[in-house]
Amino acid sequence: MFNVGISQAGNVNVMTSDKGGLTNEQIADLAVDKIVSISDDAPAHIRQQANQFREHLKKVLYHYLLLARREERGTIIQALLSGGQKETAEYIRRL
Amino acid sequence: MAIAQAMCTAFKKELMLGTHNFATNGNSFKLALYAEGGGGKSSTTATLGAATTAYTTTGEVANSGSYVAGGVALTNVAPTNAGTTGITDFADLSYTTATITAMGALIYNDTNGDKAVCVLDFTSNKTSTSGTFTIQFPTADASNAIIRIA
Repeated sequence: MFNVGISQAGNVNVMTSDKGGLTNEQIADLAVDKIVSISDDAPAHIRQQANQFREHLKKVLYHYLLLARREERGTIIQALLSGGQKETAEYIRRL
Repeated sequence: MAIAQAMCTAFKKELMLGTHNFATNGNSFKLALYAEGGGGKSSTTATLGAATTAYTTTGEVANSGSYVAGGVALTNVAPTNAGTTGITDFADLSYTTATITAMGALIYNDTNGDKAVCVLDFTSNKTSTSGTFTIQFPTADASNAIIRIA
């Protein structure tokens, strides 16, 4: 007999924001969730190490997300200044 | 519960009939968002679960921001094996500048008669207000992938 044991639908992760896009922290959480998956069946000491790695990874990602957003804003500000849009550039700089 | 997470029963049969093709250049699948308790269009409430056979507008959330009725097309990730389990995945999805309250979602085959694939239960209302509503699919492995056949 041919037997298919299980067919299942996985659980999605939903992240929402108010009056704007997702925060750096939310994006870092999304990235970490995608990179690190810890089995419920793993031994306690493995789970502990994996959780520590997860927290470290989140901090690193958060830092570089901040940097990426700041650098992108810098590029946009420079483009606006080059186009004579000084007020808009200043508005974006203050975000 | 009006929205219950499930792999749709009809989908399991349709897989054997070759109705669904999850290859990257295969069928087009969409994800529609649904509300419970009057959050949907015309104050209708969604009833979704294993018995769902096709996309329905009942209880679907209203258009807002980049969310439009029927949902946005998913980007297929080629099916593969993880050990002895067959899995497939989709790219994460974001609706921007959207005011949405949703309790769950339906993935369906937009190419073949809007046939239902699976129902996703968010377990609580998820709300974005003039913001981003992001759906992240689980890690594509034998234990977590969005669609798994073991």
